[in-house]
Amino acid sequence: MNATSERRPFSRRGFLGLTAAAAAAPLLAACGGGSASQGGGGGAGGTVKFWDMPWATPAYNDAAKGIAEGFSGANGAKASYQIIQWNNFYQTFSSAIASKTGPAVSTGGGFQAFQFEQQGQIAYADKVIDKLKANGQFDDFLPGVLDPFKSDKGYVAVPWQLDMRVFWYRKSLFEKANVALPTDWPSLLEAGKALKKVGAFGFTTGAGAGNNYANHSMIMMMVNNGGGVWNKDGELDLMNDRNVEAMEFVLELVSNGIIDPAAVSYTTDNMSAQWKDGKAGYGLFQVNVPQRVGDTSGDLLVADPITGPHGDKATLVFPNNIMMYTNTPSQEASEEFLVYYLGQLKQLWQKKLMSALPVFKSITEMPEFADDPNNVKIVKEWQPIAKTFAAQGSTLNANLAALDGGQALNQFSQTIITGKADAKTALQTFQSGLESVLKK
Amino acid sequence: MSSTTTQSGLSRARRGLAPGGPGAVPGKRKSKLSAQATRTFFWLLLPSVVLLVLIHGYPLIYAAVQATHDGDLLQTGNFVGGQNFATVLSSPAFWKAAQFTLWFTIVGVFGSWLVGLGLALLLRTKIPAGGTFKVLLLLPWVVPIVVSSTAWNWLVATPDSLIPSMFRNLGMGTPLFLADPTLASVTVMAFKVWVSFPFMMMMISAALASVDTTVYEAASMDGASRWQQFTQITLPLIARSTYISWILMTIFCVNDFPTIYLLTGGGPVNATTSLVVLAYRTVFQDFATGPGVAIAFLMTMTLVVISVILYRQIRKSSVE
Repeated sequence: MNATSERRPFSRRGFLGLTAAAAAAPLLAACGGGSASQGGGGGAGGTVKFWDMPWATPAYNDAAKGIAEGFSGANGAKASYQIIQWNNFYQTFSSAIASKTGPAVSTGGGFQAFQFEQQGQIAYADKVIDKLKANGQFDDFLPGVLDPFKSDKGYVAVPWQLDMRVFWYRKSLFEKANVALPTDWPSLLEAGKALKKVGAFGFTTGAGAGNNYANHSMIMMMVNNGGGVWNKDGELDLMNDRNVEAMEFVLELVSNGIIDPAAVSYTTDNMSAQWKDGKAGYGLFQVNVPQRVGDTSGDLLVADPITGPHGDKATLVFPNNIMMYTNTPSQEASEEFLVYYLGQLKQLWQKKLMSALPVFKSITEMPEFADDPNNVKIVKEWQPIAKTFAAQGSTLNANLAALDGGQALNQFSQTIITGKADAKTALQTFQSGLESVLKK
Repeated sequence: MSSTTTQSGLSRARRGLAPGGPGAVPGKRKSKLSAQATRTFFWLLLPSVVLLVLIHGYPLIYAAVQATHDGDLLQTGNFVGGQNFATVLSSPAFWKAAQFTLWFTIVGVFGSWLVGLGLALLLRTKIPAGGTFKVLLLLPWVVPIVVSSTAWNWLVATPDSLIPSMFRNLGMGTPLFLADPTLASVTVMAFKVWVSFPFMMMMISAALASVDTTVYEAASMDGASRWQQFTQITLPLIARSTYISWILMTIFCVNDFPTIYLLTGGGPVNATTSLVVLAYRTVFQDFATGPGVAIAFLMTMTLVVISVILYRQIRKSSVE
């Protein structure tokens, strides 16, 4: 060692080199990520990454985590559990899948499986269905819930809960207004007028930030009249006579003051507050409204389905599903996990953690579920008439994602519930808006 | 004292010179770096520059690719040239959003500046518990936007909310602050001013703190009125900070997503949809990545132009 190096143990060049190396380290680390994270641990079957959404209170995610982590596959496969927030969830999934760090199995948006199927990222669930047939669970599905997931190439996903849209009413307000529960559109109009006289609204909805209930109410009324966004061949068909008639009826509700003029800005919390404060007499909502709005006095009840002017009777359902991805440490392990998880779902309803309908008959018969007459009524009267966003078509597809929560539908719903345009003009604008974003 | 003398005194005061003072301008000293030192600085800066280019350059290039293709978040898709830009520029929704963004930015920048300036001047005077008052005034800026938007929603959302009830009790009807398109726009802008004025107040307070009080004494001696002192001393002396705060607030306003999205979601019927909200909804709700990124590109270009114009103003004010 010479004298110079003794004085300068760190040369300038050496320092610069070290700095550059330090700066490059995170980049190199980022580049090196990739799919290595998929299969770490978990024996020969690897670890199945399961991503789940916050479907209910945090207690739900704790329970779901417990179920997922209780998985033990035949080849020593394990499962890990991660919660993905709804905010920007599609971006989260997309970027993770693009970087090969995504899940092997996940819940997610209602039409997410079809979006990723289009991009070749989904592993079809036909073998899972075969296993469900073998263990008897296949026959336990409620009627019609599996069909929307069957594509030409196979089952894109497997449903696990049904997000139903049903009419609820506040019994005391109907008594106060001295009016009968609606059974069809004319009686809905009459009930709305009577409820207005007692200071309540007869068609409660909301279209504010993040609130899709007005969107769902509009499509539900179309479907309830035998219409819908699509025809039987799955083509866009908004201008049909049934849709025009349905929207003219909703506009009649608006002009009679039966829809709250402020509803266009209501968030779901604002809507819940309207139900709790006795301002909402009747309207479309989800399962478990009393628990959601914090009024379990028995005054909030599920109404009967109503009949449209041509005898149609239908509502909307969003079959939430579990999907498998092609990027997995082991496809067998993914399938094994999914069959296992579906078999454990009853725990979530046993613990009363869910605000949705189960897809299995056996769960709807459990005392923890069937003790609530509202639940029983939904299963018996509403589920059999429920149709998906794909109505009048039958199979779900990726285009529905652009419809659900998309700008065209939001603008349409807000236009209708504020009465800013006639039905035909609003539907025409809706149709043009959808056409511009739908993938050909 | 003549008007000329007053103007001369104010001119000296603006430059921070006491009356009768020498006013000598120190000569500029230009230091020359040796070639070796320049090389050293170059190599020391290089890693940071490389990192910055990677961090900013990669997303920018990727966004440019997306804006000129018809793909989605996972797949690039086919090259479509300027078609996405043409689609966006021919869309009435884009121009409506651009118009709202313009108003939102003008009101956001100048509204928050005026309130901030007023409060900064007020806080400069001796008022009891001035420090506590200052901290309290910072709260709108400090509180997370999710919390403040929830509070504002609670105040105005339904006919029975606090403020509509107040109007009703005063016999002024029941305004639907978030349901009426005009009122919703006004409410969102008022919310933006409320959230942003503390930032302006701090910027102006910092600028005012650096102004020597003897300048005002000198101006008073020269016979300048309070208004003359404000317009000819205070405003010119804080001009540099003002332009910087305008640039920053313009960027904050144009890029502001949560203030609008959390309060109105861009509604009713797109009345409060700004360009950034439109870009978000186009990409993540309509899944039209190309047009959405094209909107973001157009926003960026506009911001760069505005920033350059305001930056030139800063340089001009420095020279003056």
